[in-house]
Amino acid sequence: MNDERPEVRQESRQVERDSQLSAMFDGELASAECELLARRLVRDEALRGQWSRYALIGAALRGERGVKLHDKVAHRVQAALSQEPTYGDASTSDVAANSTRSNSAANASLGDRWMRFARPVVGASVAAGVAAMSILWLRTQGPDVHVLASTPVTESIVLQAEPGDTPTDTLIAQAVPQPEPAPVSNGEPERYSTPAPSSQTSIAPPARFATYVVAHSEYSGPLARRMALLGIVGTEAQADELAEADAAAAAAAPGTVAPGTVPPNTVPANTARGAVDNAP
Amino acid sequence: MRPDSPRAMRTHSRHSNVARFAALSLLLAAGIALGAEPKEWLERMNKALTTRNYVGVFTHVRGTRAETLRIIHRVRGRDVSERLLSLDGSGREFVRQGDELTCYLPDKRTVLVERRAPDGPLLGALPAIDEGNSLVYEIRGGERQRLLGRTTRVVALHPRDEFRYGYRLWIDEETSMPLKTQLCDKSGAVIEQILFSSIDLPERIPDSMFKPLVDASGYTWLRAERRVASTNASPALWEAMRLPPGFRMTTRSTQAMPGSNEPVAHLVFTDGVASVSVFVEPRKPDSKPTEGPTRVGSSSAFSTVVDDHQVTAIGEVPPNTVQFIATQVKATSKAPANQSMSIAPPRRNK
Repeated sequence: MNDERPEVRQESRQVERDSQLSAMFDGELASAECELLARRLVRDEALRGQWSRYALIGAALRGERGVKLHDKVAHRVQAALSQEPTYGDASTSDVAANSTRSNSAANASLGDRWMRFARPVVGASVAAGVAAMSILWLRTQGPDVHVLASTPVTESIVLQAEPGDTPTDTLIAQAVPQPEPAPVSNGEPERYSTPAPSSQTSIAPPARFATYVVAHSEYSGPLARRMALLGIVGTEAQADELAEADAAAAAAAPGTVAPGTVPPNTVPANTARGAVDNAP
Repeated sequence: MRPDSPRAMRTHSRHSNVARFAALSLLLAAGIALGAEPKEWLERMNKALTTRNYVGVFTHVRGTRAETLRIIHRVRGRDVSERLLSLDGSGREFVRQGDELTCYLPDKRTVLVERRAPDGPLLGALPAIDEGNSLVYEIRGGERQRLLGRTTRVVALHPRDEFRYGYRLWIDEETSMPLKTQLCDKSGAVIEQILFSSIDLPERIPDSMFKPLVDASGYTWLRAERRVASTNASPALWEAMRLPPGFRMTTRSTQAMPGSNEPVAHLVFTDGVASVSVFVEPRKPDSKPTEGPTRVGSSSAFSTVVDDHQVTAIGEVPPNTVQFIATQVKATSKAPANQSMSIAPPRRNK
């Protein structure tokens, strides 16, 4: 029988530990088991790594601006994300395969497992989660845990949690009447610089492309619009890639400047159309 | 031997034929219903995305990079407000309120303010998935799958050629919101994806949630004027001579752009799902032309110079598609017929 193969047993043990870990994170694990798992976490580096990764992913996905990942951890989180099996899969037939697979907890993809941590934290479990994290912090001095404890992650979890908020009802409309304050300004100063109507009114190409994307997005379908706007608002995806694209475009056609590649307060030599967007 | 037994058998077999036929019809009907269902899910999703209030946090994954963003979307009557902000580092934000679109770029210390074209489409008025685009897209799926502890319907919008991208969507059965969206190429390879970690659908969203975090008071504000200044324009009309299969022109307008007082011709082409905008503006005499391909996230752009005008095609389509369209743009001398909005950009003599 396949089930008897040692690696399968190994895997199912791993899965069991993962689900324990997840239960502990959600505050659903009995305290005696919590204690055992905490001890295990101290010994088991892989499990500890997973814990901090899960905790950080959860915090980051729920995150407000208070959450800032340590660079090293952020890279690790990204690495974990990029290993998510479904990201690579291509054919639609896999979708059906995935759906049958996901029925069995033992075969739940890494993605399913980490998404479990992305759910808003249940009110009652917040304290338990924080407590578990402090146990971890007190008992281990591993670098991951240290980073965890030194970031305002726990605070943000507390801030994010709402009593009575359960994972299953996060999508249900909550008819909580909220007072609507007076309209706020968009932060625009009373006086601002408007490009002078002169012969060189065109803004530099980088901002020009952003302008085009915004104008274009108005005519896109809802999904396409989101994807288009992510090209401007999302910056992480831009940096290297656009630098590459820029270099490629510059090589192919001198004068092409991709957005997001001009550092503030500098005017690249090839922005011949003026540089009104670089404010002092 | 009973005399009527062959007859009875024949009758029986006829009955069983009828039964088989009925069963087959039922199966066919079920098949048709199943076939219609994925399309219906797409329509429900489009409706949910444009008509509901929602506040969500999602991860945008492109290659090995991941970024977390927040989206806030509110619909009050005809008034649609939307805010999209990066939670990771850059602090970039996009805010739409009323007919004003504001893009905060703290890393460039710049704010772009644009006004929606007065004749622009309402956000609810979107092209439906119809027979026309079923020639260029194939809609598949509709099966159930669990995601984030929710029941979703998986729908694939598969491109039939290489001029467009496809989507794979995990649509929440209860709310019709897409919990996971993958942008795929013709071969099915995932280009980028959006994965929601939380979505709330509140009854009311206060105005304060559309206030940007960034203090932009010291920034350069680039604002599009509401009205395009009337210029001594000659009535040139821009057109694409040929288009990739399935695309058609839906809008032709003249728009003011932030940071420019010259009117910019804006043409929109769509295949019903993907769209491409072409911007045509007179080239500045002292500027170098912008030419060649550029990428902005999942959008492709291609720039070229036609008749001393800068032509840029941009859209969430493969690079070949924008290149195809941009290189087909020509000025025609024909005056605009019943298109009062069209103001041609001024032509400059060399």
